[in-house]
Amino acid sequence: MDNKDENVVRDAAMPTTPRVGVYICRCGGNISDVVDTEHVAEICRLIPGVAVSKVHTFMCSDPGQQTISDDIKQEKLDRVVVASCSPFLHELTFRGAVVRSKMNPYLYEQVNIREQCSWAHKHDPRGATAKAIQLISAAVGKVSRATPLAKIRLPNHRRALVVGGGPAGMKVAADLAACGISVVLVEQSDRLGGKLHTLNRLFPTGQAAIQLAAKMESQVLADPKIEILLNSKVTKVSGFIGNFEVGIHGNFGPSGKTTEIHTTVGVIVMATGFKPYVPREGEFNYKKHPTVLTTVDFNSLLATQNTEGRTLHYEGRSIGSIAFIHCVGSRQVDGVHTPGPDGRLNTYCSRVCCTTVLNQALQVRQRFPETRVYDLHQDIRTYGRGHEEYYTDASRAGVVFFRYHGDEPPTVTNANGPTSPLRINVKDYLSWGEELELEVDMVVLAVGMTAGPCETLVDQLKLPRGEDDFLQEIHPKLRPVEISVNGVLLAGTSQAPMNIQETLAAAGAAAVKARAMFTTEEVELNPYVAQVDTHLCEGSGVCLTQCEYDGALAMVETQENGHSVRKAQVNPGLCVGCGACVAVCPTQAINVSGWRIDQYDAMVDGLVRDVEPAMV
Amino acid sequence: MAGKFNPDLHLDITGFGGKDIDMCMNCGTCTTICPMSEDSGGGFPRRVIRLIQTGQQSKLEETLDPWLCYYCGDCTTNCPRQANPAETMMASRRYLTARYDFTGLAKLFYKSAVAEILAIILVGLFVTGLFVAFHGPMVLNKVELNTFAPVHAVELGDWIMAAVLSFFLLAGAARMTWWTLGRKKMFRISPLIFIQQIPVFFVHLFTQKRWKKCGSHHSGIRWMKHLLLVSGYLSMLTLVLILLRWFQTDKIYPFYYPQRLWGYYATIALLYPTVDFMISRWRRKEPIHLFSEASDWIFLVMLFLTALTGIMVNIFRVGGLPMATYLIYVIHLSIAVPMLVVEVPFSKWSHIMYRPLSIYLYGVKQAATRANRAADEPASEKVAA
Repeated sequence: MDNKDENVVRDAAMPTTPRVGVYICRCGGNISDVVDTEHVAEICRLIPGVAVSKVHTFMCSDPGQQTISDDIKQEKLDRVVVASCSPFLHELTFRGAVVRSKMNPYLYEQVNIREQCSWAHKHDPRGATAKAIQLISAAVGKVSRATPLAKIRLPNHRRALVVGGGPAGMKVAADLAACGISVVLVEQSDRLGGKLHTLNRLFPTGQAAIQLAAKMESQVLADPKIEILLNSKVTKVSGFIGNFEVGIHGNFGPSGKTTEIHTTVGVIVMATGFKPYVPREGEFNYKKHPTVLTTVDFNSLLATQNTEGRTLHYEGRSIGSIAFIHCVGSRQVDGVHTPGPDGRLNTYCSRVCCTTVLNQALQVRQRFPETRVYDLHQDIRTYGRGHEEYYTDASRAGVVFFRYHGDEPPTVTNANGPTSPLRINVKDYLSWGEELELEVDMVVLAVGMTAGPCETLVDQLKLPRGEDDFLQEIHPKLRPVEISVNGVLLAGTSQAPMNIQETLAAAGAAAVKARAMFTTEEVELNPYVAQVDTHLCEGSGVCLTQCEYDGALAMVETQENGHSVRKAQVNPGLCVGCGACVAVCPTQAINVSGWRIDQYDAMVDGLVRDVEPAMV
Repeated sequence: MAGKFNPDLHLDITGFGGKDIDMCMNCGTCTTICPMSEDSGGGFPRRVIRLIQTGQQSKLEETLDPWLCYYCGDCTTNCPRQANPAETMMASRRYLTARYDFTGLAKLFYKSAVAEILAIILVGLFVTGLFVAFHGPMVLNKVELNTFAPVHAVELGDWIMAAVLSFFLLAGAARMTWWTLGRKKMFRISPLIFIQQIPVFFVHLFTQKRWKKCGSHHSGIRWMKHLLLVSGYLSMLTLVLILLRWFQTDKIYPFYYPQRLWGYYATIALLYPTVDFMISRWRRKEPIHLFSEASDWIFLVMLFLTALTGIMVNIFRVGGLPMATYLIYVIHLSIAVPMLVVEVPFSKWSHIMYRPLSIYLYGVKQAATRANRAADEPASEKVAA
């Protein structure tokens, strides 16, 4: 590329006579105690293009913002730079001030001279001051070449896709429908309710799980705004917030034949749930001995055992004693536990198993008083309201507790064949680390939760997963049900192990978040996306090879001077503005709005500009 | 070594008065708060409770811990789960008493108040029967107790009883020693250590001074009352076993004569604490007296009645009432003898042996451990050199 072309780009973006206002904040001393703000203001006046340079004790205060507004009018400013705190804190504040003065908000630039200067270099005031000047100089360069931008507006389809018909999915669907949003609820099995059908009595209320499932199901079924697709799966998904194109495959409809339907939704809620951990064959003698069960198996045993008796019965045997072993498939330790088929160790706590075990143990003691119960745990984590009572009640009911260390789990053996009692050896830390031996008729393994099945959506929408394989929220506290793909929300155990109470709370939050996304007819997106200069684009297609986001870039045929030519085209809904395309374009035809290459050049020039010979 | 699990042990201990053993979550507050635990090898009461919870019967039988506790009740007061560790320690002592006794009578008496009362009545009737059948001439114009019940005959009866009771008590002591010193392992301990530690036994038998280290609940006062009771009891044993010919006389000595003074002292030393303890148990005003098993009441009532009838014998004798003296003498022995026969080897009174013996055995164990360590050290130094 020759210099001429480069200058063309620069001149196109360069306003004829930029008039930049620079505002330096003292932050009540947070900045001015270290950075010589008066000196900075003085020097900044020397930077080409700067019309006004002022200092204020609190730029974010009303008088501070008023100063900016007044200057825009009186000094005819067309660019504003505020040098203060992190843009995370006050970028929106100052953009608002600029907008109120009828200026485009994207002609504003914030420089962080608090975290990056006064706080980082508090023992070097001269250096901090010099750095502040350099950063402001770069920002002036960048903002001088900024062009007015507008938020991208796209149609917003008032329809939500809820993936998964368990308690989370039903709750989201019901809540959204109650707000008048139409919902398509996709469930892969032949009935709603999900894992509720594998549970028995729910803690902490003792309510029957099927009762809860039936109640939620009737609510969902009764709502005409909810379209329920059973025996179906999401097979294709693309698009962006407000505009997701979804393909659903299944045998719904009156014909009962397998068909595929397509629909457009504005929001996708991942209520895909969890999979219970399945112990390896031989892990604690699982699958090798008929009376080694998981808590899932044991739940159905408790549910089907209708007769009350002195002891529990299983497959014709009287069960005189049961040992529950906690943390099976949870809190695994490297070097002690065998990783799963995917090479993963589940190092996390599944959170619900402790109360589950105590709930089951208590039911055994209450219904079958001559069946003894032993509980082998690492810790008892009965963290929820009303959960600790299960622990106290289990003690009172005669459950005997043993505590092992995670790196020395108990062993289960049956030396004398499948009809003999099982022998458990445990190094019990409540007995000063003594090796104890128990003989029991049944062992119940408290299996944890592992990430649920949602590969299609994860692959096609590029949803991030955590180290634990569960879907990962943006921020555990500030944005707990959102995922980094805009318009996709998390509900329940697709995100992390949760009990039903927490699942429903998360689902309710996701529903509200989804509802909030439908407040406007259009979705507004930040304008920082790639933009193609069709004059420069020669249709090489290199950008496409680098683009990580399906559908964000495409090559389209257009007519130019009567010839058919290929040009790159950006879908602003899908582009995230990463800039990978910019780096590879041989003709510099593609740029990210608001962060164009010539702006970077100007920033570099600004950084190295020798504005203050006396200081250096 | 894997310990075998006896799941019924906690039920067994509950039968001996254990309360809320299941409620213990092994937090260890009791052990932390116990002023006796640390210099007793550490661990109790929690260790004892844990052994019971995990059904380790042989380990429970091998421990001295319950005997090293004097029941201040601080652990129970501070227990976050109301698991009542102090009462579990108490029940363990009853359980161990029953286990040390090879006849099984102790277990029967502890678990059944009816059996214990019946045994006392039977022995009492037997004593009464002996008097009815074999008493001497009843002189009615003056008090001649030694004619009614000749002192040499009574003394002979005393000695036979003492021999039989000592046999059962020593058998229990032998089992305690055998278990707590690790059965055959006890032969590895130098006999010299056993001899050196003997004074410990007697110091604690006569003083119970270890009690003074116990917790915050008026332990000093309780120790003094108990010491008074022990002195009264030992006085009585001395007077009736060793000095009976000097003590049971028809001649009435002056008030200040040692024979009478010692007798009065013993009476007061028995009556005051027993009455005090009965009131305290009735009012449940101290942690130790919150829960009273039948065996506790029987013990106090019998001791009180023994002292009461004893002093009445003296009153009638000095008062010159022959028939009343003979009658109350028979009643006195029909209470005192069954009390001793039932209580000393088979019930609560056995602690007169097990308490000081436990401290003796603990001392032996400690000394043996020190000796082993001393024997090991020069050897390791040699290796190092």
